[in-house]
Amino acid sequence: MSLISIHSLTKSYTKGKSTITPLENLSLNVPRGEFLALMGPSGSGKTTLLNLIAGIDSPTMGELEVDGRDIARLSRSELTRWRASHVGYIFQLYHLVPILSAFENIELPLLLGKLTKAQRREKVYAALELVDLVDRAHHRPSELSGGQEQRVAIARAIVHDPSLLVADEPTGDLDRESADAILNLLQTLAREHDKTIVMVTHDPKAADAADRILHLEKGQLIEQGGLNPAAENTPSPAPDHRL
Amino acid sequence: MLPFTYAIRNLFRDPTRLAQTVGGSALVVILLIAAVALNQGMSSVLSASGSPQNVVILGKGSEESIERSEVHLEAEAIISTAIRGLDEQLGVAAVSGEIFYQAPLKSSSGVENQALLRGVFEKSLLVHTSVRLLVGHFPGPGEVMVGRLAHRKMGIDAASFAVGKNVYFGKSDLRIVGVFEAPGTVLESEVWFDRNDLASLTQRNTLSAVVLRLDRAEFDDVHAFTLQRNDLELAAIPEDKYYEKLSLFYQPIKVMTWVTAALVAAGSIFGGLNTLYAAFASRIREMATLQSIGYTRMALMVSLIQESLLATLTGTLLAFLAAYFLLDGQTIPFSVGTFILTLTPTVIITGLVSGLLLGTLGTLPPAIRCLSPSLPHALRSS
Repeated sequence: MSLISIHSLTKSYTKGKSTITPLENLSLNVPRGEFLALMGPSGSGKTTLLNLIAGIDSPTMGELEVDGRDIARLSRSELTRWRASHVGYIFQLYHLVPILSAFENIELPLLLGKLTKAQRREKVYAALELVDLVDRAHHRPSELSGGQEQRVAIARAIVHDPSLLVADEPTGDLDRESADAILNLLQTLAREHDKTIVMVTHDPKAADAADRILHLEKGQLIEQGGLNPAAENTPSPAPDHRL
Repeated sequence: MLPFTYAIRNLFRDPTRLAQTVGGSALVVILLIAAVALNQGMSSVLSASGSPQNVVILGKGSEESIERSEVHLEAEAIISTAIRGLDEQLGVAAVSGEIFYQAPLKSSSGVENQALLRGVFEKSLLVHTSVRLLVGHFPGPGEVMVGRLAHRKMGIDAASFAVGKNVYFGKSDLRIVGVFEAPGTVLESEVWFDRNDLASLTQRNTLSAVVLRLDRAEFDDVHAFTLQRNDLELAAIPEDKYYEKLSLFYQPIKVMTWVTAALVAAGSIFGGLNTLYAAFASRIREMATLQSIGYTRMALMVSLIQESLLATLTGTLLAFLAAYFLLDGQTIPFSVGTFILTLTPTVIITGLVSGLLLGTLGTLPPAIRCLSPSLPHALRSS
């Protein structure tokens, strides 16, 4: 069953006097629990598609269903509420709040719900265990390495147990070793926690970690390959902690 | 909603910006406090100086200026007997013929400055009922008594105007024999002479005004008297109305005070806005990230306002402390007297409301600008 169902999706916007259409008439299905990599040159529409799937942006035309909800029709405030419970966003540059500790950054999505302080604490520590950063709980982002910051960002993205994770170049700012650790973590989240992950990347090695790789060019899917055989044998070193 | 601690911690993200915001708001608030206190002090001293029970009789055509007014000496006695229903004590009618004069007076310390001089007899206390002798006695010939703020009007220290010291008027020296108070009125800034002394020193053979206190009589009775005795060329005005008119004379000064305060405050507000624009502009991506997590723009706006309010209210508190130690109780001389700056409830409320408005309305434009870019665009900003 598809978690994401896209049909004839078009996104265009005006810049000055010209109209730009980064995505045109795009259709795509992403099954629940799949780890999908989106590749393509700059300006191909990867991030635009990611933002539309994450409810960060709204399409100009077409249908966009995520987890059975037609998010193309939601207003800005409805999208904000929807994001709070359904999506976790992982950014290339982590986007952690610098004045908050790792614990407090991860706790941010939970503050939107009605959990008690004890319940929030339990969930944050579960997320921290999953990303193997319990000992860094009270460190601020400036006291963490890039890899650790990205793991905190992943913990923040999964702490409220969303069905969908979107990642925009999550390894783009990391060294190879840290990037591998992040990719293994994403694989674990997809395989063992049934998270659907859509990842934008330029890095073929990062894309190899995904179950499926799609290429975009000029707003069109030019290649929709089958299952990625490289991903089948990628080890998953992260511990199995349930959220 | 974002936790309140987020707003508190954000305050200390940039200590320079915090200092600018706190300092700027403190400056704006203290300026407004000072402007309100000045205007209120001046207005209240003038309104408190006039009693609704008193009537001032001046020379016709001189209703605007008591100094230029000339009233025949015999008018005092005529008024005492012709108008029935005046207040009286032990058979003495509450009618006081007075000479009012502004002239340089030299203190024992050698400082010479413009002073407000009033020539009176002791029965003037029947009309100026707020006057109380604090030390000494009412002046006789060769003597004066001084209001407790007269030294401030003269710009000298209180010790130079103490009982036993001398003052010099022209070539005459007079001994200070009393200090009086008349709380909240311009009388406290005056130097009271024996009327005959002041008449001879100023070479006057007329009074400046006759002040009388009504009991059963009404103002219309006094007004009717001035019309009946048009040979005396008199005009009557209720004392409170006289000071009200005087207050209008100072309106331009009050306007100037507000304009000056507003100009400096505007400069400070624009500086503060600039600081906030810069501070919030550097957090566009962070705000977008929080929106991507699920925080509404309204929740973020509230947090930004909380943050600014903390800074501006800290500035307001500093302004109050500065006002308490630097302004409260300060005496300010002006041409017809001296008033005291006081942190009245109105002044405090004005300061508090200004601080709140600075923190809320002042935050809105930079906060709206920070939260208005589209999310995809804001998430890419540096």
